[in-house]
This record gives sequence, C-alpha cells and structure tokens, in this order.
Amino acid sequence: MQTDDAKLAQAVRRDFPGDPQAPSFDASWAAAEARYRRSRRRYAGLAAAVIAAAAVFAVLDPGTAPDHSDSWVGDELLTSTSWTAPSDVLLPEREFDIYQDLPSLNTSTKSVDGALL
Amino acid sequence: MRDDDALDNNPGITRSALEAIHGQVFGWALSRCDYDRQAAEDLMQQAYVELLSGNACFDRRSSLKTFVFSVVQNLARSRYRRIASRFRLVQRYAASEVESTTDAAEPNSDNGVWSAVKALPERQRDIIELVFCRDMTIEEAAKVMGVTTGTGRVHYERAKKALRAQLGNAEETG
Repeated sequence: MQTDDAKLAQAVRRDFPGDPQAPSFDASWAAAEARYRRSRRRYAGLAAAVIAAAAVFAVLDPGTAPDHSDSWVGDELLTSTSWTAPSDVLLPEREFDIYQDLPSLNTSTKSVDGALL
Repeated sequence: MRDDDALDNNPGITRSALEAIHGQVFGWALSRCDYDRQAAEDLMQQAYVELLSGNACFDRRSSLKTFVFSVVQNLARSRYRRIASRFRLVQRYAASEVESTTDAAEPNSDNGVWSAVKALPERQRDIIELVFCRDMTIEEAAKVMGVTTGTGRVHYERAKKALRAQLGNAEETG
C-alpha cells in the first residue's frame, strides 16, 4: 500500500507543472507595503470624516423636539373622559357657596332672665 | 528575542523568512487563481498586507509556510471566489470567440496524471497538490485547507482512490 502511495505520489509529482517564475520579492513586498499604507490613510480619512460629521450634527442639531404625530393617545380618548380632584371644592369659586348656607347669627347682647334675646 | 527584520505587527515573522518561501507562496496563489498570473500577484500582495497589518498573526503553532499558505487560501476563498468564477466565465466566452486564448502560465492540460488531479473535487485536488507536490504532511495540508486532520485524511484517501481509478481506466482504454 505504501509502495502504491509512493508510486502515485511520484507520478503526480512528475506531471506537476511546477511553479512559474515568481515576481521579485522586493517588488511584491514594496507593493504590499504601499497598499498597507494606502489602506491606513483611507481608514484615517474615514475616521476623520465620521468625527467631523458627528461634530456638525451636534452643533446644528436639526431638531430634537419629540414628534407626537404618531402618539397612541388619540383626541377621541382625551375628550371622552373627565376627572375631578377631591380638593376642587376648596377652590375660590366654590368658597362662597359654602358660606351662603351658614345660618345668620344673633348679634344681640341683651339678656332676659339670663338668656340672650 | 526579536529579529532585526521582524515585522512590526507580526514579530514572529521576518522579512527574510518570507523571502525564502516567496516562490512557493506565489505558486500556491497561482493555483488558487486558476493560473491567472495577475490575480495571483494581487492575492499574494494582499496576503502580505494581512501579515504587515497584523490581521493575520503568526503564533508559531505551525510552520511559517503552512501559516502563509492558509492566509492565501482564506483570502482566495473569501475575496477571489467571485472574481475567479467571473474570470472563468470571461475565459470561457473568450475561448469560444478566439481559439488561441490559453494563458501561457497555465499548466499543460494534456498531462495525463495532472489532468486526473485537476478533475478531482476541489478539496481532494488541494490536498493532493499540498501533500504530493508541495511537500506538506496531511496535518499541515489540513491546516491550510481549514479542516480537521481527520477530514483531511478522508479527502486524501478518497483522492488517492479516485486517482487510482481514473488512471486505471485510462490505462485500460489506452
């Protein structure tokens, strides 16, 4: 089996076309370094652009007011309910009603047989 | 201990060590790009960029050759698959238009055994090339291919079986 494998490997290796002449290492390496530098510059530029855009956005602030147009509370619901606080009776407009019901007091100080007239 | 020409972002790799395997790396890149020389140069440069940037960090758990081959393989798989398929389409179209469009660097397809290797499924072809022609062990080849050693062995055995069958048939009909 090992012999068969060795024969097969030998046959494949014999017919393997081999590698053609590679480009010079120095040229390939220089090209790779240039590409690396370019990509770093590109990322730096991109980061600067993002920061600048964020700064512009923060300064201009195109509107932070909340939008209620899609609020779930509809007008119908707001108009169909009412609520009164228990302390509303103490408000000034009701104050006089309370005093109107009070009995008028006798202001005489003369007494007859010990009782006030 | 750091060598003088070690890469800044990859201290385990020296420029001279890369230079020593440069030819083999190019051969492997060429094989990954359907023997298109320009695409192979581009792929190899991109692999060097990955090493320069430290995106692909060598941890000395394998040989440098195995590591760089796996970087080339991963790049080829992720970035060049579409390009290669388009290139094949263009080549096929061009071949139908003009008869003499064969790339000078492309291996001779009349070669019997090598034609049989090229006819194998991708992974079987890769492991045969790595083990038989690029002097790697099955473990190293499996690492390059990104599969477990067990899976690598399965591909290896199947490839040998298929090759024997093909070559046996060729001998019978020849």
